[in-house]
Amino acid sequence: MKNKDYSYLYANWDDTVRRRKVTLSNPVFMKGLALAPIVVAGTSVHNGLLLCIAVFFLLTPTRVITSIITRRMSVPFKTFFYPFVSAIVFAFVYYYMYRYLGTSVLMLGVYLPILVIDPLIVKNFEKTRKESVLYSIINGLRNTMGFAVACMTVCVIREFLAFGTIGGIKLVGVSLLPMAQYSFGGFLIVALVAGLWSAAVKNYKYRVEVEALHNERHS
Amino acid sequence: MTSIQRKNHDKSMLWAIFALALCGSVLHGARVWLLCAVATVTAKVVDVLVSMIRRTDYDATDHSSELAALIFTLMLPVNIPVYVIVVSVVLTIYVGKHMFGGRDVYPFNLAALAMCCAAVNWPDKVFSAVVPFAKVDFFSGYTAQTTLSNASLIKAGGVPPYNTVDMLLGNYPGAMGADFVLVIVVIGLFMILCRKITWHIPVTFLITCGAIAYIFPRIYGFSRLESIQLEMLNGSVFFVALFMLADPVTTPKTPKAKIVFGFVTAVLAMIFRYVGSFDIGTCFALLLVNTLDGYIERMVSGDRIKVADVAGEDTEENKREKTVHRKIFTAEKTEKTKEKAPKGQKEKIRGASDAMDLISETEDNIDNVIYSTRTISIEEILKAEEEQKRKKGGKK
Repeated sequence: MKNKDYSYLYANWDDTVRRRKVTLSNPVFMKGLALAPIVVAGTSVHNGLLLCIAVFFLLTPTRVITSIITRRMSVPFKTFFYPFVSAIVFAFVYYYMYRYLGTSVLMLGVYLPILVIDPLIVKNFEKTRKESVLYSIINGLRNTMGFAVACMTVCVIREFLAFGTIGGIKLVGVSLLPMAQYSFGGFLIVALVAGLWSAAVKNYKYRVEVEALHNERHS
Repeated sequence: MTSIQRKNHDKSMLWAIFALALCGSVLHGARVWLLCAVATVTAKVVDVLVSMIRRTDYDATDHSSELAALIFTLMLPVNIPVYVIVVSVVLTIYVGKHMFGGRDVYPFNLAALAMCCAAVNWPDKVFSAVVPFAKVDFFSGYTAQTTLSNASLIKAGGVPPYNTVDMLLGNYPGAMGADFVLVIVVIGLFMILCRKITWHIPVTFLITCGAIAYIFPRIYGFSRLESIQLEMLNGSVFFVALFMLADPVTTPKTPKAKIVFGFVTAVLAMIFRYVGSFDIGTCFALLLVNTLDGYIERMVSGDRIKVADVAGEDTEENKREKTVHRKIFTAEKTEKTKEKAPKGQKEKIRGASDAMDLISETEDNIDNVIYSTRTISIEEILKAEEEQKRKKGGKK
């Protein structure tokens, strides 16, 4: 990265963090959203993919539809419409997922409907300002990407540790950590990965700060 | 207990563990040494690596990790695969020790945590028992001479077919080094007499366990005294009492609190043994009681105060203390940033010196306050005050 880029990042750090939903403000590892589905249902790559698909079809459409409907409404109405729209969108998503993906959707159990009331999706209704359709699409996709990266990271690690496989492909003959398939193992792994993730973000921030100050001194 | 006393305690315990491993190797062969070596090396390596990751100074004289790994290993059967020990030790040292602050401050007994981790993950491997003098493959640990452990047998309603002398000597299918009751008792007495450990927790724990076994016998058709014998000589009760409950870091400091701690642990341990699904109910009970450690200490000694309670009130004095605390934190953080920054940039970072000045100004006001994440006693505060006065007197 060029030196002037570090200066730019340092000057606009808050904005950068807000935009980089995959890394610097990952919804799962940095904000602690959508933990319940990942901890309980995210035991394998297959389940992780199903969760990602569900979030993809739930998160952005809910935000976009709400922003279109509530464009001419006052803020309290938006608060009312947000969970309402997310529930309706979920009904469609669940129907089509069940139709095309079959009974494997049932493996997620109650954690698929729980996604609807997860802060990852409904937290946005707290915002007092209205958002444009374009902004809601971009932000929704960023959040989806952040969730997908976190979910798949955790799912890959858990499947490998619990069953010695990744995506059903056997890599190790023994189960390295059988408790990874249980909820308490999931908590442990999510906590460990989140800790490493936040440490990496902290290091990156420190590096940006130091480089920017260095540039400032020599310019 | 000071840090030096704790280190002496750890060294004494390591010698005791060595004696038990020696006994284990007589009954179960040379594989005991292999497993002990793997556990020790893994604990040491993880300790060093995590210290490097955390950027903290590694204390080479701190043997708590190795001790915990060895205690855990001796509670396992000799046919246990090596990876079980490695994974359990890695998880325990990383999560149980370093994630909670490292040496001298970890809240849970490390050996109990490792045992619970292994029991939850590999119950079939952990709870098998190898017959003494059985042929065990040195590297893979394969043996055909396995059977149910005595604790499992009692839980299933059976009675172990071994006489008292064999049970005292550990000459029956079981763990590598946790069943030599006679040796453990001798070691325990020696350590109590040499004041390496105090008697309060082990003795209270054993008496309570015995009393519960006497009052509520679960083996029908036997007298109450025989019930005590069967309960106490199986399930590594003596081993846990001496090696896990005497850990100075995770147990209370005052004698009264130690007695309460031993009593509560024993009651819970017996409940877990009676109705739990694992043989090692004692380890689960210990982990549970570790969470109550501070509360027991505070409850028993009435002069204890909780810093969080004081800080929670919104009096003017506490507000000032909070502000000072925040300034100390900011100063430390800024100092760290300053140290990490390149040479040319150090002048750029301001704030540390100003904050430190503020602390020195307000230090006189907070002389009688010691910040801690746990509980503090009035005695400790008075001691700190006296020390500060002495220092000031010495300077003059």
